[in-house]
Amino acid sequence: MREVYLIGAGQTAFGTFPERSYRDLFAEAYEHACDRVENGIEPEEIDEAVVGSLGVGGRQLGLSGPAVTEHVGLHNVPCTRVENACAAGGFALRQGVQAIRSGMADVVLVGGYEIMTDLSSNVTKYWLGVSGETEWERLTGTTFSGVYAQMARTYLDTHDCTREDLSRVAVKNHANGAKNPKAHLGFECSLDDAVNAPAVADPLNLYHCCPTSDGAAVALLASETVVEEFTGERIRVVGVGGASDHVGLAERDSYIGLSATETAGESAYEEAGIGPEDLDFAEVHDCFAIAELLAYEDLGFCERGEAPQLLREGKTDPDGELPVNTSGGLKSKGHPIGATGTGQVVEVFDQFTGQAGERQLADPRYGLTHNVGGSGGATAVHIFENEGVGR
Amino acid sequence: MSWTPVECVGAYVPRYRLPAETVREAWGQFHGAGITQTAVPAADEDTLTMAYEAATRALAGSAIERDGVGRLFVATTTPPAEEEAMEPRLVSMLGLGAETVTRQFTGSTRAGVEALVAACSSTDAHSTRQSTLVVATDAPRGAPDSEHEHAGGAGAVATLVDSSGSARITDVAEHVEAYPGTRFRLAGSTETTGLGVTGYDRTAFIDTVTEAVRGLETDPSDADAVCLQSPNGKLPYRVAGALGVETGAIQRGTLVHEVGDTGVANPLLGLIAALEGGAERVVLVGYGSGGGATALTVELDGVALETEGIAPEIEEIESEATVDLSYGEYLRMRGDITPGEPAGGGAYVSVPNWKRTIPQRHRLAAGRCPACGTLSFPPDGACTGCRTLVDYEEVTLSGTGTVETATTIGQGGAPPEFVEQQARSGAYVSAIVALDGPDGTETVSIPTQVVGAGAESVTIGDAVEATIRRIYTQEGVTRYGFKMRPTA
Repeated sequence: MREVYLIGAGQTAFGTFPERSYRDLFAEAYEHACDRVENGIEPEEIDEAVVGSLGVGGRQLGLSGPAVTEHVGLHNVPCTRVENACAAGGFALRQGVQAIRSGMADVVLVGGYEIMTDLSSNVTKYWLGVSGETEWERLTGTTFSGVYAQMARTYLDTHDCTREDLSRVAVKNHANGAKNPKAHLGFECSLDDAVNAPAVADPLNLYHCCPTSDGAAVALLASETVVEEFTGERIRVVGVGGASDHVGLAERDSYIGLSATETAGESAYEEAGIGPEDLDFAEVHDCFAIAELLAYEDLGFCERGEAPQLLREGKTDPDGELPVNTSGGLKSKGHPIGATGTGQVVEVFDQFTGQAGERQLADPRYGLTHNVGGSGGATAVHIFENEGVGR
Repeated sequence: MSWTPVECVGAYVPRYRLPAETVREAWGQFHGAGITQTAVPAADEDTLTMAYEAATRALAGSAIERDGVGRLFVATTTPPAEEEAMEPRLVSMLGLGAETVTRQFTGSTRAGVEALVAACSSTDAHSTRQSTLVVATDAPRGAPDSEHEHAGGAGAVATLVDSSGSARITDVAEHVEAYPGTRFRLAGSTETTGLGVTGYDRTAFIDTVTEAVRGLETDPSDADAVCLQSPNGKLPYRVAGALGVETGAIQRGTLVHEVGDTGVANPLLGLIAALEGGAERVVLVGYGSGGGATALTVELDGVALETEGIAPEIEEIESEATVDLSYGEYLRMRGDITPGEPAGGGAYVSVPNWKRTIPQRHRLAAGRCPACGTLSFPPDGACTGCRTLVDYEEVTLSGTGTVETATTIGQGGAPPEFVEQQARSGAYVSAIVALDGPDGTETVSIPTQVVGAGAESVTIGDAVEATIRRIYTQEGVTRYGFKMRPTA
């Protein structure tokens, strides 16, 4: 099997840019990613492109992949758009890895983009629930805040966890995001703020929910055959995992664990030959506070029911045993749906190449990204190793 | 003439009330003479869902199985749509047979009693089943500051007519006389109106009612209660003298003071009040504008009074579970000042696709996997137990279940197609409920709203039961389906 390396990654700031177009955002992320390839990269060197987008707003619902790659001059490069709701980016990455491992491509662009804030509040409400199970779940009057609230309600009822514990996710991720110049909500918040925010869907309040954001992110992958032409860095994709589950929550075996995440995580760890205890940092999909708690447990950072303890003890803080969401996560960095998965890869690249600024961790070797679609209908997990560390 | 007797009666009145005093505060006056409060349908209720509620109660209180019901007669002046029969959906919701003979009686508040008489006096040669289910359901409204609006209530009564019944009709008489203009609603309007010529309206009522009752062979003064059509709480008493009955007998046969004018259901709710009060012989009179009246004498021997399914409903009507509305809340709940579905659209489930799921939406038709025995709802796609594509064995669920998880969707949290529901009735509860399987040990989980009394405080582990409500309306077509409510 051919090894796959991350040779560059870049992104726009995540935020509110209603006047910008998805192509324009994609172009900025593309240029940023290319600029960060140590020895540079030319458009004709890219063999394949896979881009993720939900298509919020419906703007270019068909062929939006070629619409962005042609826009940046990747002429005649085969491009496929991947749609897996909020995990579109993670699955674009998975497709990119598969393209290189299969031998069909040596250099692949994987990316994502979304514009969400130029819509009226009514149109936004429509789009925010389109990845829920439509015929039954949505027709009980829910969007994702409602479905994750149902998960949170069950979790609070089952485990030793309070609303305050949920709010700790916001406090931690905002503290991290405040150090990320690309973050959408780059400010700190107090536990008091995060506990006393207005209710959205009980028990979730505003600070338990990520924002809707605009943005784009691009990562560039190269095969072991050509990686040295582009960079002296050796950031290898060592573990890949993906899994699906029922789209509607009621059909699942558990409301307080995502079996897709568990399965994808196990695959990724097995391929990487490491366990969660070997990780130096992780970017997990914290679309709602409860999602970060479930991710800790599904990915084996702790036993079932122990996620609140991890937060209380600061074990996932930047100076803890396993820093989680140093970028600020979806909560603070933002969540432009299709761009979120490859946006996580940008944090991996920053951390492994010493470009994470105030967020910089000391010589991390293993980093994990975890990208979830909907309320757990699809999950992509990737583990990266900085081969320059520990050798 | 031999009349088929009444076997069981069930009734339903929504839990919301608009006190007369509240209307008086808003308008400086109240035109619903003799009415202290009116019943108001919830945002997701209408004459079809109320008909379902009443019919379910009548069937629950009866020994007659659903497959014994051959005819469904529905009376209403306010069907959900002016054209498009509601009976096929009601047949589906109730799980009656597809060969059920259905008829709709409309155009007059007399239609409720007309339907009952039609059921008791006729059979259809092509109906092989002997029972007839008669449902009178209505929610009349008028212009905001009118007597029809101030008096207008909401409710439904279902009557099961079967030879095994013990409430016997002994006598029927009718009278019509052309009295135009007393009460009418023109095509395209949702507001009942009238010319408001007080003396003329009163004469029309007294004339037709008196003549119909005179046509009876029995003496109305022998009746324990007289259940009169009551457009308001005063008019029925004006006829006491002409009929030669005590006002007490009329009072024992009316509920209009407590629930308002329920149109076609109005005299039948009065019948239930009389039953509850222990009446053994009643005179029942339906009156409608145009004008005409139908009078009948009903002998209720002791058996009918003990029939399950009658007494509990009257308690519900007058119980403390009712919720008083402010005038603003009333206008919202009625949809008078709410925005409708926002521009931008909602999740689209096509009507043909919805039609495919009607057995699940209306009757909780689930499936059992023939390979591993796991229950599935909807019975579609691979079995959640063994992940195999199978042909499910159909299983009908009882409709009882337990809340597994729930959340409250507050302002701003509703998707566009539920914005109108939230605007009308405020925050709502969205839950996952484990529905009980047929053998009592297995369950199957479904997403659902929880509505009704106690819904706002529902928690994990609470017992709930299924009902039918409006889910949402798109492209003018209202989709009806199950929701859960806390078990009393």
